[in-house]
Amino acid sequence: MINCPSCGAALPVRGLSAPYTTCSHCQTLILRQGQAVEEIGKVAVVPEDVSPVRIGTRFHVGGVDFVAAGRVRWGWSGGSWNEWLLYAADGQTRWLGEAMGMYMLTAERADVMTSSLARDFAGGGELVPGQTFVVDGAEYAVSDVKQAECLGGEGDLPFPPRTGWAMTNVDFRTTGGAALSLQRDGQGASAWLGTWHELADLAPRALAEIEGWTVPEAMQ
Amino acid sequence: MNAPKHAVRAVTCPNCGGTLEVRAAGWSVNLACRYCGSILDVSRPEVQLLEQHNRAAAGFALPLGSRGRLFDTEWQVIGALKRSDAWSTWREYLLLNPYTGYRWLVEYEGDWKFGTMLLGRPEESGKTVVWQGQRYRQEDEAVLATTETVIGEFYWRVSSGDRVLCASYTSRDFTLSREEADGEVNWTHLVALSGGHVESAFGILPPEPEEPRGGGNKARGYALFETEAQAEAQAAAARGVDDVPAMLGLSLLTLIAALVLMLGFAGGSAEVRTDIEAPFGRTAEGIRLGSITVNRPWQFVSVTARANTLDNQWVDLDYSLVDRATGQSIDAYGLVEHYTGRDSDGAWSEGDTKATIQFGHIRKGTYDVFVDAGAHRWPTDVPPVNSASPWEASTYGGWGEERPGPVPVAVTVKTNTVPRGNFWTLCILVALMPAFALYRGWKYR
Repeated sequence: MINCPSCGAALPVRGLSAPYTTCSHCQTLILRQGQAVEEIGKVAVVPEDVSPVRIGTRFHVGGVDFVAAGRVRWGWSGGSWNEWLLYAADGQTRWLGEAMGMYMLTAERADVMTSSLARDFAGGGELVPGQTFVVDGAEYAVSDVKQAECLGGEGDLPFPPRTGWAMTNVDFRTTGGAALSLQRDGQGASAWLGTWHELADLAPRALAEIEGWTVPEAMQ
Repeated sequence: MNAPKHAVRAVTCPNCGGTLEVRAAGWSVNLACRYCGSILDVSRPEVQLLEQHNRAAAGFALPLGSRGRLFDTEWQVIGALKRSDAWSTWREYLLLNPYTGYRWLVEYEGDWKFGTMLLGRPEESGKTVVWQGQRYRQEDEAVLATTETVIGEFYWRVSSGDRVLCASYTSRDFTLSREEADGEVNWTHLVALSGGHVESAFGILPPEPEEPRGGGNKARGYALFETEAQAEAQAAAARGVDDVPAMLGLSLLTLIAALVLMLGFAGGSAEVRTDIEAPFGRTAEGIRLGSITVNRPWQFVSVTARANTLDNQWVDLDYSLVDRATGQSIDAYGLVEHYTGRDSDGAWSEGDTKATIQFGHIRKGTYDVFVDAGAHRWPTDVPPVNSASPWEASTYGGWGEERPGPVPVAVTVKTNTVPRGNFWTLCILVALMPAFALYRGWKYR
């Protein structure tokens, strides 16, 4: 059991892979190193939203169980979106992007970063909608390019969700609904490959209860 | 278990001060005020005014916030758009269920379609696209659609005046709609809903509800036609006064007056009649029909072609009126066609051996009238004559088939005619209102 160094509240242990966590009681950002905890600062409260996902929501996709352990909220000139950090039973963490009521489940693909297009992007190169890129034999087309900044976070996270932290996000799509996103911030670039889903496709359990709405039977 | 979260966020319109609800907080980007139509940015905690308007939007059948069950899921209407292209206007409603996502209801003249945004992209090739093994065909050219009115909230930036290029592809009852704006393409899969389905699901009245019958009830006129005079007439009807005979009398008087006026303007008529021959396989060009004189400014000239021997044939006639003073030509196309035959339903015939065309708006002056005439045969046409030289023409067919003789056509050109089409149109228009009144009187008797 670890307690918040600021308010003393118990910090839930969801997994061990993410070094950062936030205290849901006092918004303190905490760096965990083994049993040692260090207070880093405060995080912005993620404004309440209509998202049916919450920390603790479970998913079952492609034979693998996931649980939402943390969230970062990103804002850009055209709105905002959530990225949920999922701990997976197979040990590989995933991100679940949530925007427009749709979900993009991705896993990191470090090998994609060795391609010339991705290396160029990592070096600060521009990508424009329509540009294409082949990964695993499928053609991915740039669907949008966003300059995003962090609006806050909660739960366990691999990095500190500092407000105002900027990144460039490029989304690619295939005709079949596969998704690729390249992300670049001040510290480096990474590639995330996955697929677009509707919530029901993810076999969710323990969803957030939203006032005025009933969780569909199939998701209870 | 955590307490249910409040997904509804209350905001105040910075323009009109109206209290508004954001029902998809965090997902919605823009909110168009339902009271003043102003567009607000609600993607951040601080609400910003993007576009100031001072006109509330009306005319949406589904109110914001209303709920209904479709396809076993409960939906809430959170946004509505009125859009139009060069020919038509339609309305689109954005539906939300937080556990399922967004859907669309598109309404055009009382017909509803339910739309789901595609997660992938169909494969496009020319006029067809393939989506999940199904081929969809494009029906009309892509059109530019403009957003005229917006109310409620949306997950993207909206603005009245937004323009998108829309194309739709159909396959049976399904439609794929492609919308492109600023290089971004969105695809929506639409399914037609049967009549009354949406109305009963959302508990709204159908567009033309059954009227209450019986005495004392003021009949509800179509808002479009309702005028003070009509309201007066309805009041009179409620008092038991029947003014339909008066209406009919007035209509008849109007028609008589119009006819007298038309004859007066037409003045004395002159005509010239010429017999011509329309050959098969070629067009006889520049046959002179004579000259006519239009002696009053701006008259109608009619040309009647009679081809009494026509049977399973047609004659193309290109008329020109050449002004002697200016040399300018006014052209018109006439067609005489007459077909007969016999099928499982018995004998049939189509077309007429006589056809009249009318030139409107012919200036005062003297005109030479010419025609280019060519005859054709159905179902197998006579092959064209490739050369004008007589001996080649005589080798026609090569199988001993005799080239059919030309079709005799009698052409009559008449000046200062009465525009009969206009007159009949007037008759119909004048009769419309009394007929409507009669129908209503009969229906509610």
